[in-house]
Amino acid sequence: MSLFIRNYKPGSVYNAQIIWRYHSNKVDMAKKEEEEEFRVLDILKTRTRLQKKVARRTDIQPDRSEKMKTDQNWGNVWPGPRSFHPSSVPLPMRQGYVPKGQAPPGKKANAELMKVPNFLHLTPPVIKMQCEAIKKFCTPWPELLNNEEAIEKNYPVEIITSDYCHASPTIRNPLSRIATLRIKLSDLKLDKHARDKFLRLVGDKYNESTDLVTITADRCPIRKQNLDYVNYLLTACYYESWNVEDWEKDKTLEDMEYYDFDQNPSKANLVSWFMRVSKKGDLSDEEIKVFDINNIPHGPEYKKAVSDLFNNSESDQTLQDYDAAVRKLLGLPEKKVAQ
Amino acid sequence: MFTRNLRVFFRRYSQTCTFRTSELSPAQHSENQIGMFYTIDKNLCKQLFGHGGLPKSYMKQTKTFTETTLMVRLPALDIMNCIKNTDFDKPVVRYVLYGEKGSGKSLTMAHLLHYAHEQEFLIVHVPWVSEWLRRVPRHKEMANSPTREGFVDLPLDAAAWLLHFKTQNQTLLKNPDLKISKEYTWSKRESTAEGAPLLELVELGIARVKYACDVIDALVYEIKLLSNNKRCKTFVAIDGFNTFFYPLTRLRTPTKRTVAPEEVSLTTSFLTLTKNDWTNGVVVVTADQLAVPEDHQESYLPKYLLYKKGFEHLDPFVPIEVGRYSEREFLTCASYYRDRLWLRGPSELEDELKFTSACNPYKFMELCAPL
Repeated sequence: MSLFIRNYKPGSVYNAQIIWRYHSNKVDMAKKEEEEEFRVLDILKTRTRLQKKVARRTDIQPDRSEKMKTDQNWGNVWPGPRSFHPSSVPLPMRQGYVPKGQAPPGKKANAELMKVPNFLHLTPPVIKMQCEAIKKFCTPWPELLNNEEAIEKNYPVEIITSDYCHASPTIRNPLSRIATLRIKLSDLKLDKHARDKFLRLVGDKYNESTDLVTITADRCPIRKQNLDYVNYLLTACYYESWNVEDWEKDKTLEDMEYYDFDQNPSKANLVSWFMRVSKKGDLSDEEIKVFDINNIPHGPEYKKAVSDLFNNSESDQTLQDYDAAVRKLLGLPEKKVAQ
Repeated sequence: MFTRNLRVFFRRYSQTCTFRTSELSPAQHSENQIGMFYTIDKNLCKQLFGHGGLPKSYMKQTKTFTETTLMVRLPALDIMNCIKNTDFDKPVVRYVLYGEKGSGKSLTMAHLLHYAHEQEFLIVHVPWVSEWLRRVPRHKEMANSPTREGFVDLPLDAAAWLLHFKTQNQTLLKNPDLKISKEYTWSKRESTAEGAPLLELVELGIARVKYACDVIDALVYEIKLLSNNKRCKTFVAIDGFNTFFYPLTRLRTPTKRTVAPEEVSLTTSFLTLTKNDWTNGVVVVTADQLAVPEDHQESYLPKYLLYKKGFEHLDPFVPIEVGRYSEREFLTCASYYRDRLWLRGPSELEDELKFTSACNPYKFMELCAPL
C-alpha cells in the first residue's frame, strides 16, 4: 500500500488507461514523459509561425456559361424575368464606369449589370413562340372593322394610356398610370339642353374644332383606378346633363351662351316694324313669339345677319352682311361703292 | 407783270377745276363730285351750325380759310340716295354713321343737315350728346324733374338746345300748319293752348328755362304727330348717340349719386324720337368713340359702342361706315390746302403726309397746321 501511495500521482489511473491504449507506442509515451517537464516562461512570446494552410484543391466545375451549347434553346435557360446572373448568360458582357483607358468590369460580380432590368427573357424567338402558344385563344379580327370609320362608329370611346420602357432600377414609370378617355360629342345622345349642360360641365375638356371630349385622370396611383375614374366621370357628366334642375328655369337672356334671334328683342323689333308697314294692329308679346319670320319678305336673311353679328362677333364682314340684309328688308337701294 | 398775274390766275383756275365743285346744292351732288369741296353759304352756315354742329377744330379752320367748305363724300351720298328712295309712309329708317376717330362722321352729318335743310325737312339736331351727359362745367344746372318722378332735368342745356332748334328751323316754324294738338299746362298761370303754333311752345321753353325739358318732351311728341299727319317731314340727327347707352354719366345729384343716362329726362325724349313708331322722317345718328370714356373705345364698330341695348333700340338700322380718305379724296384735300396756302413746299410732301396721317382726315388736318 505504501508503495502505491509513494508512486501515486493524480491521474495515474487515467494514465494507466492511456498506457493501456498506447501500450504499443513507446514514442508517444516518451513524449508524454517530456511534457511532464516544467514549462519555460516565454516572456517575449516568440511564437513559431503557424504553418500555412495548404489550399486544398477542390474539384471546381467550369462556369456553366462556358459549357452551354451554341444551339441550345435560350428560352429554357432564361424562361422569365429575373435579374442578371453571370453564369447563365454566355455573353462577354461588360458594364460599369472606369477611368479612361481601362476596360469596364466583366460580368462576374458586377452589380451594375444586376441593377438594370434586362429583357433576356424576351428574345424574338421566345416572343414568337409565346405568340404561337396563345394564338389558339385568339379570335380573328372582325372583317367589317376594316377601316377607321367603322372602328370609330362601333367603338366610339377611345382610351389612351402610355407604357414606358427605359433603363433604371425600376421598370415602373409613374406616368404610365395616366389614363385618357376620348369621345366624339356627336356620338353621345344629347338633346339641346343636355348638350349645353354637358358642355358647361365638361368645360375646356371639349375641343370645338374636332368635336372631341377628352377626359384625363392621373389622381389615382394605378392605371386601373384611373381608367375606372375616367369612365365614372363620363357617365356622371352624361346623366347629370340630362337632369333638369329647378333653378335652370331662372336662366335669362343674358345667360344664353349663344344669340337666339327668336327670343331676343330684335325679333320683336322686326315683327312690330312689319306690322306697322303692313298697317296691321300691334301684336302682344305672345303673338310676337310665335310669329313666323318667313312671312316677312327678306326676314330670314335679316335673322341670319343679326344672329351672325352677335354669334360671330362684330367685324367688317358681319356688319356688311347686316347692312345688305337691312337694306333689302327696308327696300333701300344697295350700298354705293367707290369706283 | 400782267402775264404773271394771268399765269397765276390760270393756275388757280385749273386747280379750281380739280378740287372744287360749283354745285352748291347737296341734292344735286353725285358720284362725279366725290372728293370735291363745295362751299356753304355764310348765313346758312350760321343758321345751321351757329350753336354747334361742326367740330371745334374744323370751325377754327373755316375761320382761317374764310369759308366753310365740305367735301362731298360717299357715305353722305349714300344716305341721300337712300332718302330719295325711301317710302315716307313706312316707319322711319334709322342710319348709324360709324368710323374711326376723326374720319369725318360729324362733317358727313353736317353735309346731310345741309341737304335736309334744302329739302325742307324739320331738323331736330343734337350737336353732341356728351355735351349734356359727360361735360360737367363748374356750374352745371341740374334739377329734379318736377313732373316726372326720379328724373333729372338739365334746364340750361335744354333751353340752349331749343334755341338751336329754333334757329335751325326759323323759316319752317313760321309755317302756320305746325300746330299743337293738345293743351299743355305748365303751372297755374302758364299754359299753351291747343292749336297754338309750335314756335310758341319753343319760345316758352327758351323763356321759361324751368320747363325747358318738359317742353322738349312735348315738342318731340308734337313733332312725331305732325310728321305722322304729313304736316312736315322731319330729319333727326344726333351726334354721339352712343352716350345715351353708356351705363353712367358724369352727372351727380346733390347727394353725390352718379346719374344713369336713363334718368335724365332729355335722354328719354330723344330715345322716343329715335324709335321707329312714327313715319315721314329720317333718323341719322353717329356712334362715336369720343362720346364715351376711354375704357370703352376698343372698337369703332357700332354694336360695340351702342351696347346690346342700343343696338336693339335702333334695330333694324342701316350701318354706314365713314372711312379714311381714298386716294382721290386725299389728293383733292391736299390741293385744297395748297390753294388756301395752308400747305406749301415740294409736291413730294403729299406722299409723306399721306404716309404719316394714314389718310385719316383729322390727322391730316392736324399735320398740315404747322406746315
